[in-house]
Parts: sequence; C-alpha cells; structure tokens
Amino acid sequence: MIEESLKELAASTRKRIDEAATAGALEAVRVEVLGRKGTLAQISKDMGRIAADERAKIGKLLNAAKSELESAMDARKAMFEEQALNARLDAEWVDLTLPAPGPRPGSLHPLTQIQQELEDLFLSMGVSVLYGPEVETEYNNFDALNIPPDHPARDMQDTFWLEGGHVLRTHTSPVQVRGMARFGPPLRMIAPGRVFRNEEVDPSHEHTFYQLEGMMVDRDVSIAHMLYFMKTLLAHIFGREVTVRLRPGYFPFVEPGFELDVQCLICGGPGCPVCKQSGWVELLPCGLVHPNVLRMGGIDPEQWGGFAFGLGLTRLVMMRYGIDDIRHLQGGDLRFLRQF
Amino acid sequence: MKFSYNWIRELVRDLDVEPRELMRLITIKTAECEGVELTGAHFERVVAARVLSVEPIADSHNVKAVVDAGGLGRRTVVCGAPNCRAGIVTAYVPSGTALEGRVIEKRVVSGVESDGMLASAAELGINRDQEGILELDGVEPGARLPRLAADSIIEVDNKSLTHRPDLWGHHGMAREVAAITGKQLRDPVNTELVPAASPVYGVDIRDLQLCPRYSALVVANVKVGPSPLWFQQRLQAVGLNPINNIVDITNFVMAELAQPMHAFDADKLRGDTIIVRGAEEGERMLALNGEWYELTPSALVIADREGPIALAGVIGGWDSAISDTTTRIVFESANFHAASIRRTSSRLKLRTDASMRFEKAQDPVNTLRGLARAVALLELVAPDARIAGGLSDMAAPPRTTAPIELPMDWLVRKLGRPIAPGEVRRILEALEFGVSEPAQGVFSVRVPSWRATKDISIKDDLVEEIGRMEGYATIPPTPPLVPAVPASDNPRLRFFRSLRRMCAAQGFDEVYNYSFLSEEDVRRFGLAPEDHIRVTNPISVEQGLLRRTLIPGLWKNIQENGKHFASFRLFEVGFEIHKRAGSLPEEAPHLAAAMYSRQGGTETLFEVKRLAECLMPGCELRPAQARQYEHPSRAAEVWWRGEAAGRMFEFHPNYVETGRAVVLDIDLAVVERLAPADVKYKAVRRYPESAFDLSVVAGQRALVGDIGRQIHSLGGPYLEQVEFLRQYEGAPLPEGVKSVSFRITVAAADHTLSNEEVTAVRDGIISGMRASGYDLRV
Repeated sequence: MIEESLKELAASTRKRIDEAATAGALEAVRVEVLGRKGTLAQISKDMGRIAADERAKIGKLLNAAKSELESAMDARKAMFEEQALNARLDAEWVDLTLPAPGPRPGSLHPLTQIQQELEDLFLSMGVSVLYGPEVETEYNNFDALNIPPDHPARDMQDTFWLEGGHVLRTHTSPVQVRGMARFGPPLRMIAPGRVFRNEEVDPSHEHTFYQLEGMMVDRDVSIAHMLYFMKTLLAHIFGREVTVRLRPGYFPFVEPGFELDVQCLICGGPGCPVCKQSGWVELLPCGLVHPNVLRMGGIDPEQWGGFAFGLGLTRLVMMRYGIDDIRHLQGGDLRFLRQF
Repeated sequence: MKFSYNWIRELVRDLDVEPRELMRLITIKTAECEGVELTGAHFERVVAARVLSVEPIADSHNVKAVVDAGGLGRRTVVCGAPNCRAGIVTAYVPSGTALEGRVIEKRVVSGVESDGMLASAAELGINRDQEGILELDGVEPGARLPRLAADSIIEVDNKSLTHRPDLWGHHGMAREVAAITGKQLRDPVNTELVPAASPVYGVDIRDLQLCPRYSALVVANVKVGPSPLWFQQRLQAVGLNPINNIVDITNFVMAELAQPMHAFDADKLRGDTIIVRGAEEGERMLALNGEWYELTPSALVIADREGPIALAGVIGGWDSAISDTTTRIVFESANFHAASIRRTSSRLKLRTDASMRFEKAQDPVNTLRGLARAVALLELVAPDARIAGGLSDMAAPPRTTAPIELPMDWLVRKLGRPIAPGEVRRILEALEFGVSEPAQGVFSVRVPSWRATKDISIKDDLVEEIGRMEGYATIPPTPPLVPAVPASDNPRLRFFRSLRRMCAAQGFDEVYNYSFLSEEDVRRFGLAPEDHIRVTNPISVEQGLLRRTLIPGLWKNIQENGKHFASFRLFEVGFEIHKRAGSLPEEAPHLAAAMYSRQGGTETLFEVKRLAECLMPGCELRPAQARQYEHPSRAAEVWWRGEAAGRMFEFHPNYVETGRAVVLDIDLAVVERLAPADVKYKAVRRYPESAFDLSVVAGQRALVGDIGRQIHSLGGPYLEQVEFLRQYEGAPLPEGVKSVSFRITVAAADHTLSNEEVTAVRDGIISGMRASGYDLRV
C-alpha cells in the first residue's frame, strides 16, 4: 500500500520536475517534496508506524526515490542556470567593429627610424655611437679636418656663420675630432646628426639635413677594409647585396678620398632618369683618414691609420620611401609624417 | 670646367677612345664628369653661300635672299639680318639641319618659302655675336666653314678639381687621359719661342710670398681684330667668350695650360716698371667689367708708376685694357699666392676664371710656358705682331721639395692588395713623377712642379695616384681584424629612444623643425631677439636667429595641422641653443609636445599631463604665473624629484583661435640627470594592508595636490598610499567649497595592523588636517 503511493509520488514528482518552467517553480517542488517538511520527510517520519519487517524495504525504496528525485532536480537546476547564463551573455552582445577609444599610436619621424636602424647595425658591429653639438667651432668644423682658412674647399660647403665666429656645423665630421680626443686609438665610431648648409630650399635642396659620420682608426687600416665596411653597411640598408664602385673624390680630411657609387637600384645599370643615365648613384663619400687629421686628433699617423665616411641620412630616407620633395621632412605636416 | 674632346685629342697622340667612354674613364680615375654634350654637329652640313640678290618683303622687316650655295645650288631664304646684302659670303644652313636644339625646316615665312637659313655666329656657336649673319672672307660658296667641326664637350664637376691646379687646363687633363689610356702626351709649348733679349719693362715684386713669379713680354705691331672662327669656336665651346685676338690668346692659354694671363695696352702704361704690391689705403680701380673697386692693403695689385692697372690674379683694369686701336701690348703671365687671391676675390665678391685657378695654387714654372704658348698663338691669330725685347721675369727662388719616400710594404697595407713594384713605377712615370729605388722595396718619388704646389706632398697622396690608376675595382673588400671590445655606452642614445617610444605610445607623432627663427617669431613668444645667437649670413631675415625654445616651431605645426585635423598630438625632441659667453653655446635638449583639439574641455590638459607622468613618474604640476602666450589660469611648472623640469600650459586663445592646444616643454638634461640609475628591490609585503576613506572640505580653488601632500605628511610610518578618489561641489556643501575624497592605505612590514593602530593613523590625520584649517566630513 505505502509502496504503491511512494512509487506514485516519485513518478508524479518526477513529472513535475521535468515540467517546471522556471527555477522558482522547481524550487517550489523541491520544498514541497524534498524539503525538511516535505512529503518525503513526512513519509520517513511516518516510518515508525510501518511494520518492522516492511520497514527496511520501504526505507530502501524511500532513499532510492529521494536520490533519484534529487539528481533530477540538480540536473534541471543546472539546465536553468545554464540558460540563465546564456541569456545574460547574449544580452552582453557588443559591436566589436566599433573603433577602440584612446589615441592612435604616434609615429616616429622617418629620420629617427633610419638613424636608430643604422645605430643598431653599427652597435652590433662594436662601433660606438657619438653625438656632437650642432654649433661648432670653426677649428673643429674646418681646421682640424685639414681645411685651413682660405682653403678653396671651404667653398664646397656653404657655411652659416654665427656672431662670435662659430659655425653651424656643415657636416658631422667634426665629431671625428671629438671622438679622437675622447677615445684615442683604436677607435670605431659613428656620429649621426643634424647639419646645415647655406642653400636655398627647393624640392631637392635643404639648408638643414642629416648625416651619419663613420670613422675607424686602427693599425693597418686599408682601402680593402673600408670597402668591406661600406658594402656591409649598404647590404643592410638596402636589404640585399649591392654593386658598388669606388672612384676618386676630393675631401681634404681624407687621403685618398673617394666617392662610393651604388649601381642604380631603379634601372640596375643601363641608365635611367634617377641615375641621370649613368647607371650609378653617388651615395657615400669616404676615404682613408688624412694623416694631418690624425695628428691634429693626437694620433700618430705612423702608428695608426683609419677610414672615414659620411652617409646622407636625409638622402637615404628619400631613396627608401621614394620621397620626391625634401621639404616634407621638416614641414611638420602630419599627413606626411603619419605614413611612417 | 668644360673640356673639349677635340682639344684633348690634339694633345694625346692616337687617342682612340670615344667621348662617352672617355668621360667614364675620367670619372673613375680622375674627376667626376657631369655629362658630355655634342656641339657643332651642324658644321658637317653648313656651307658658305654668296648672297646673289636681296628683295624686300612687303609688311615685313625680313628680306627674301637668293643665295648661291655652290654644290647645293641656288636657294631662296627669308632673312631678318640687317647686314643681309648682295655680294657677301655668309653661312648657309640647309633644311634638315639641327641647330640650337631645333631642326631647320623648309617653311613659309612672311609669305615666302624659305629653304634653310642664313646664320649668325651666335647661332652657329662660334661666338656671341647675334647682330647679323656671319660674313666670311676667302671662302668659296659651297665649301665647309674652315676648321669648324663637331666637338664633344665634357663637363667636369669643379668641386672634384679643387685640389688639382693642373686640371684647370686641357693639357693637364690630357696628361691624365694619356696615363689612363697608355698613349703619349703632346706638349704644345715650345719655350724657345721666348727670345733672350733685354726686357722692355722691369718687374718689381714687393712681396715674393704673395707673388712668387711675374713674367711679361711686350708685343708690338699688333692689329686688334677678331680671331679666326675656329679659334673663337674653341673658346666658345668651353664657355669662354671670344673678344678679340689678343684677349682670346690669353684665354686660350688659360684654357689649355691653366695659366691665367692678361694683356695690357703698353701705350697706356706709365713708366718702365711693372710693380706688384699691396694696394694702398683708399686706392680704387675701375675694372674691365666697368665696376669700381675700393681696395685695401690686403689686396695685391699690379701697378705702373701712377697706380693700379690690375687687381692681381682677379681682373684687369679698364684704363689699360686692349682696344681696337691698341698696337703694342704687354702679355702678363704671373703666379700668385692662392689664399691671398681667394681672400681678395671673396672680399670683393668677384670670382673670375683667373681667380678660380689661382686659388687652387698654380705652378710658378708655368708662367714662362704660358708666354711661350702665347707667342706661338700670335702666329695663328695676329700674324703681323712682333716680339719687342726679351722676357721680363722676376721670381722667388724655386721651391725645392724633397722626394717622397714610398715603401712598397706600406703601400700594400694601405691599398689592401698586393701590387708589383714595376706597376707602381709605370703608373707614377705615366703621370710624370720621377721614380728611383734607392733601397730594395722603397721608391723615392719626385713630384712634378704642377702637382707640388699643394696637391701632393706626402706618401698618402701617392696611394691615391697608384690606387686610382690601377683601378679601385681591383681591391677586394676584406673584413678588418679588430679587437673584440664592446661599443662604448651612449646613455643619451638610450634615453632619447625610450623617450620617443613613450611619446609615440601615448599617441604623439614626431616632427622635426628648423633651428632657425625670425625676430617676429621670438617676439611673439615674449623673447628679445638680442638674447638669441644671430646668423651673420642667413638665407633670409626669417631665418636669422637660432632657436632658444622649441615652442614657436610647435606653434606653427599646430596652426598648419589644425587646418586638416580636428585633433592631434605631436612632439619634437630638439636642441635649444643658448648664448654662453666665451665658449660654444649651450645646446639644451628639450622635449616639446603638444595636443590640439577643436573642442574645448579640460581632457586635453590631462592627456598631456599623462605624458609628463609617463616620462617622469610622480612628477607634480605647480601652478605658475602665465606668460603672454599662455592661458592665464592654465599654466604650471613641472617638478620632478625636487627640481623644476619644465612647463605645461594651454595656449592663450589669442594664439590658437580654432581650438585648444596644450603644450608640455621639458628640459631633458634635467630628466636625464634625475632618472633613477639603479632599481633596488624591496621585499614584497607579507602582511595585509588596510584602507579607509577621508573627505576633506576645502575652498574651491584649493589644490588637490596640496591636500594630498598634507595628508601624506600626516600619515606616519604605516602610510602606504594616498589615492585621490573624487571631488564634489554642490548641495549640501555651501557655495565656494568642495569636498575631496581620498583613500588612505596603511600597512606594516612586520605585522598585521590592528584596528586600534589603523584608527590611530586616521585620527592623527584628521586632527592634523583640522589643525591646518581643513574641515573633514567624517
């Protein structure tokens, strides 16, 4: 008799659990059937009235029904929780195509970028990076570089003179002088920086531009060493081996002096407007350091020798990015600068 | 410098290299060539023609001329030249000929069909005479114009000739070409042509340092007139203006031998001595170019008894110039001190073909050669002229230069490749160096006079001679063996990099501005022009001062970019240049950053402040007296680690009218100096912290920073942090005050703070704040 009604209760409760539409309805069923004062608790309280021989059997049935209902209840509850979570997450829908707030990342000037790149290259080769002042003494800019007063080579660099007799440095070469004084031989250094020439500005001329000076002083430095260094530098800059040629060039602070030409990267040699039909582009003035320059730098030219070169960073930036107007570089126009 | 291929070919026997290849060889072995241009190709087609008849054309200043062009037959041409008249023999350019960059075609002019043209000397490229058509003497119709031919002109970059006095003439370049091609050089000079007789003029050089040699020769029976056409064309082709036969000779010698010469009208000279001296104070001279020059004693002059007749090495005088009536001349061929000529020419702003050559340090031996060549040329262009007397010549004792010792092993170490001693000797001798071998493996090299003035004096100079002639392409790139030492550290490099990275990460775009400012620029920013370093030779007045602040540049960037963007951020890392007595100026590295927004609001200020905090963690802004370009109540000094490191402000609306712009200007030397060098580890706290909030009531313009600092000072040893939470104005607070809330965090390193300890800190702060006059909402 009691067995019957227990089975019936289990079945009907099971049905009610399955049919509970909400977590609240489910909870109501739990309280009614499985709660401390629920139907099952009532039955177990009434167990005393059952004949002892049946008690064990009924008890077993009661426990089975209880655990079955409880697990059904848990499953149903878990389902409701999952549904609720899904609904909440669904409500948290966000349009990820919206732009991110806050500033866009800023850009570094292309000259900064190329300068850093070359500094890294030279540092990796054990070459020190030095910076020198933009205003220099006439001595450092000229005399110490074997360009005495009234030397016609002073015409090669139209100079801005300042009151008091100083100059805006016309090249980064004075940093050679500073480097020799500071470190002595042996010496490996580069010096990137801003230089000035008294020239009218047009799409291909600037009075303010950037150079990178390089110098190595050691025992027995040869033209062959210089060539190797230059080729390594250029291969890095252009990302591939480049064909170069060395030809005589006159700079008073080197002897012999050279112009290093790169085979035109546009036409590869036959000639085009970029290389003025010559197949070559002039890129790197260089040479073996003049003994007078070493001597003025306190280095004995009989014991030491060196090479030096000057790379036009502005020119390189223009070549790399195909910039056709040099004035952009100091124009401060963000429409230009943000491209880099 | 322009070089005529034909001229070089006359001086190099059997030269068989085409002009373009010659240009390439010169470029890689000697000096940079800028291009080669074919001139005078039309001389292959132009013929002499006799004008048979001339008829006027109605309503035109042109005439219709019928000419007899010999083998070409009769041609009708329309001609506008005033001297076109029947009977003359002129130059006829047949149709289909290219002239001055265009092709002469048969076409109708003034209603008449013109077949070809009659040409002026200027149109033919012989000289600059464009007054009328060429009139020829002794040339048969149909014949080519005598000795006029096509030529290739090779243009060499003057800069690459700075150190080579010898290459300012064709003979010097021909010597290079001969050495490059292995051909023989021909010397056009025969010094025996200068007669050994007593001179007409004495020479008195007052300073043999400034004028190491002065040579002169008198020529009589001179008939001044035009040079032969071929002679004129040769000068014209290398950029020298034909004038008359005498002046043309001096220019020809200069173009050939690099020896500048001058010719005086001997009848205009006073006295019997040519004096070379410094100008007297107040002396002046009318020069050939029609200008008066005021002279100073540093200028060297050529003078006669009465006064200056030429500015030595620069320009001749007007009064003694060659004219049509000149019959007796003095040829001057002299040598001057390079730097002195350069100083005079720069001071007078007068650069001439002569001064350009002298300032490269010419060879004193060359003066005599110049005169000898002039004598030879007289035969060609003034055949009636006769030398009068002998050579006037005064010279400093010849410079003796010791031979250069050239050790072979040293040479090989410089070149970086082996070279046979025989090859070294061959190269040097081809360039006319004297070579002997006093010891095994060491050459003794004697430098020819034309290379010895300035160009070559040490063995390093010889490396170039051998290297370039051997060919630099033969040197294999070789990695140097160097000590394995790290590069020296450059802290500024690292500092600038992290700085720039930080600015970019905060959304600032980098700009580069010029170092120059105008007086207006600096006045606009309340600075006095006289406090700036002035450029003595600026490109323009707008660029006359060196910047001592980056702000004007940034301000211009804001104005310009404000036209294109509603908001932007930008920065510059650059140097302020400040006067410093008695030494180089101070170059102060600065960061100037700006943020612009068309909208108002205070966010911009705090976006820029964040950049300051990123660069200088824990920096403080202290309100400051605003400058004329700053917003009166939005200007502050930036303090970091107890020092003023810069300034932050919003531009006064009068300066930025379209929006708001905030600027941060930081002295990077201060930041670099104060940046912590080492990081010291502090043990991570093991005991929990406690926190409580406090609200302070203060006047509306009381600074939150000050209140926070005050709390901080009252916190005692357990204080960890004072964090600003919010501020509030409005009910129930009375007008004019605000409430500022802070969260105070306390902790101890060695135990968990008890409630009593926390309360004690809190009470300490509250009573301390009250004692300082603050009200607290507790």
